[in-house]
Amino acid sequence: MRTKISKTLLAAAATVALYVPGAAFAAGSHEGGHGHAGAMAFGEPGQLSEAGRTIEIVMGDNYFESEKLVILAGETVRFVVKNEGEFLHEFNLGTTATHAEHQKEMMTMMEHGMLTATGVDKGMMKMDHGSTGMSGHVHDDPNSILVEPGKTLELVWKFAEATDLEFACNVPGHYDAGMMGEIEFAAPGTAGS
Amino acid sequence: MDNQHPKYLGRVLLKSAAIVGVASALFGAVPTLAGTYDLTIGETIINVSGTEQTALGINGMVPGPTLRFKEGEDLVINVTNTLDEDTSIHWHGLILPFTEDGVPGISFDGIKPGATHTYRFPAQQNGTYWFHSHSGLQEQSGVYGSIVIEPEGREPFRYDRDYVVVLSDWHDTKPEKILANLKKQSDYYNYNQRTLMTFFDDVSEKGFGAALSDRADWGEMRMTPTDVADISGYTFLVNGKNPEQNWTGLFKPGERVRLRFINAAAMTYFDVRIPGLQMTVVQADGNNVQPVKVDEFRIAVAETYDVIVRPTDEQAYTIVAEPMARTGMARATLAPREGMEAAVPEGRERPLLTMADMGHGGMEGMDHSQMQGMAEPTKDTGQMPGMDHSQMPGATQPAMDQEQMPGMDHSNMSQMDRVAMGGAAGMRQDPFYAPGSGLMPTAANGGKFLSYADLKAQKPLYEDREPTREIEIRLTGNMERYFWSMNDKKYSEAEPIRLKYGERVRFKFVNETMMSHPMHLHGMWTILDNGNGKFNPTKHTVSIAPGTTVLAEVEVDAPGQWAFHCHLMYHMASGMFRMVIVEGGPQTTAVN
Repeated sequence: MRTKISKTLLAAAATVALYVPGAAFAAGSHEGGHGHAGAMAFGEPGQLSEAGRTIEIVMGDNYFESEKLVILAGETVRFVVKNEGEFLHEFNLGTTATHAEHQKEMMTMMEHGMLTATGVDKGMMKMDHGSTGMSGHVHDDPNSILVEPGKTLELVWKFAEATDLEFACNVPGHYDAGMMGEIEFAAPGTAGS
Repeated sequence: MDNQHPKYLGRVLLKSAAIVGVASALFGAVPTLAGTYDLTIGETIINVSGTEQTALGINGMVPGPTLRFKEGEDLVINVTNTLDEDTSIHWHGLILPFTEDGVPGISFDGIKPGATHTYRFPAQQNGTYWFHSHSGLQEQSGVYGSIVIEPEGREPFRYDRDYVVVLSDWHDTKPEKILANLKKQSDYYNYNQRTLMTFFDDVSEKGFGAALSDRADWGEMRMTPTDVADISGYTFLVNGKNPEQNWTGLFKPGERVRLRFINAAAMTYFDVRIPGLQMTVVQADGNNVQPVKVDEFRIAVAETYDVIVRPTDEQAYTIVAEPMARTGMARATLAPREGMEAAVPEGRERPLLTMADMGHGGMEGMDHSQMQGMAEPTKDTGQMPGMDHSQMPGATQPAMDQEQMPGMDHSNMSQMDRVAMGGAAGMRQDPFYAPGSGLMPTAANGGKFLSYADLKAQKPLYEDREPTREIEIRLTGNMERYFWSMNDKKYSEAEPIRLKYGERVRFKFVNETMMSHPMHLHGMWTILDNGNGKFNPTKHTVSIAPGTTVLAEVEVDAPGQWAFHCHLMYHMASGMFRMVIVEGGPQTTAVN
């Protein structure tokens, strides 16, 4: 099961989940200066047809099975992210700083009940949280997917130039418990496929 | 076999693992999961207070060695007594047959002078724990050490290195003498008692009637507002080192360092922080918790907290552990190189108990006036001419000059305002303290202070279910006569608490005293009801703050007889103690 993902399962997951990248990409940039534009300095959502390879990411409580990724600059990668744990986890591509920023947002979402330790409250997530200062802060970042326990989701990302990047789970406490890893940019022709 | 009780499943599995282990040892294929450890308890000389003192050590050390076990290992631990009195070792927080629990008079007869006692039990859990003497007051004299049990599986966090950080309190006065002094005069060690002059200040603040009524209440309680801790004159230690000796743990920048904090003090709660680093709490009392990032946490006597820090800079950091009563400081250092050190912050103002801590916090209009009136710092009180010697670390015979020097209180006026305001601003109610409590902690940097409410089990040990029975335990005592009790009865006057195997008992702890009590039940886990439902954390020690009621549940899954007591040593010794008898269940015999 780890290597073969059923297409129907993925399709179902993509339909249900608000927060898969495609939707946000189409929506373009948000107001509010939180840097959640579709295109980011280190890359942008990619087209599945352009993905040269698939990297499988397996999550447990609270860790990524692999703690390092090797990527080629400019490469488009299809990430298939499977949560084998019992808690909610995130797969987020970013810098140490964007992760730190996103951890604060996720803490707020947790405090407002939009997220729980084990899942996403889809009703709460859709609600207008204007009064809580959470307006426009639904979890729709194009560089991130939230994966509930037992689920598998995909993220297609087109990396830009080599830079300091990490993949991380920003569910409160998880990053600091070590649920993150570095992304190493390899010289062209050396990254595995 | 009862599927409701994973512990028993574990026990059976362990048994077969042990058999496999023995078999494989015979064929020399796989190393067996068995280890033999030797501990010797005897007198040893230490110097943490400026003079050489005779302590009681384990293998010549205070604290004793760190015992590193593996989950699933069959343990054989030989304890030799070289003292001229009985001794014992209790494995704090470990789940084991009651005969191996090490409490004289309950689990066994104790270890006689010159004798060697062998403990045998399997390590059926993992995490950070500790061990200590359960005989007399020996723990205060140094008979304690740490236990680290490596897990069989992967942990829900990662780290590059780990250190045990044992916090403790040392007193040059022999503990028997301390207890005798407390019995004679309960405020013997309270250097900062409020007096007639502060009473006149209260009058000017609140009016004569209110102040008088406060005083009457305090008198009735046989307590005083400065009774945050009953004993002063302690030197506070980290891994046996005083602040000047500065225990240092090394790291390489960028590494994750796991710090296993253990409060092995006899009487001292600590507020722990590392200025410049946030700490991610990943374990409490040996059980993993969902990670929570904090700036500071309070560790009750006998608790453990494991935190992960990740210093990225090439600099030293100070580990600061201030006693809750602010009577000094334990200090240690994390540094990239030996000898590096960071600034050591000033000690913070001493807290004062409020009427809320007396259980009067619910009264209307009470809280604010009390906050103002009681927030007066008393730290300076002890610095009056003629009293300075009593404030020095290691002072054994405090000069208890209760006569006030005219004028001293005026010097406090400016500070009073500052503290009162600082206390009010940014104070978030922690449900585990009485509203308006003088003990409610705030982080030194204004950041996040861990609350019991933040503790959520990473992987609950038990299925969540309704308790089958509730037992009320009122925590009681008479401070002036210095005895402590449960439901108004001292241990010597009380019947054992009888539990039935298989029931789930809810203990309702009602703290009617003005001190915090870290309650510890041996042999079985205590599930703290902190509002997190199935993720309520599983602990071995639960602290109950003054004026509060705390609920905790116990799956009664360990037959035999067990100790149940307040872990403040002099409270335990003066009567806040019960025997718990678990009736029914599988026959347990010593693993011999």
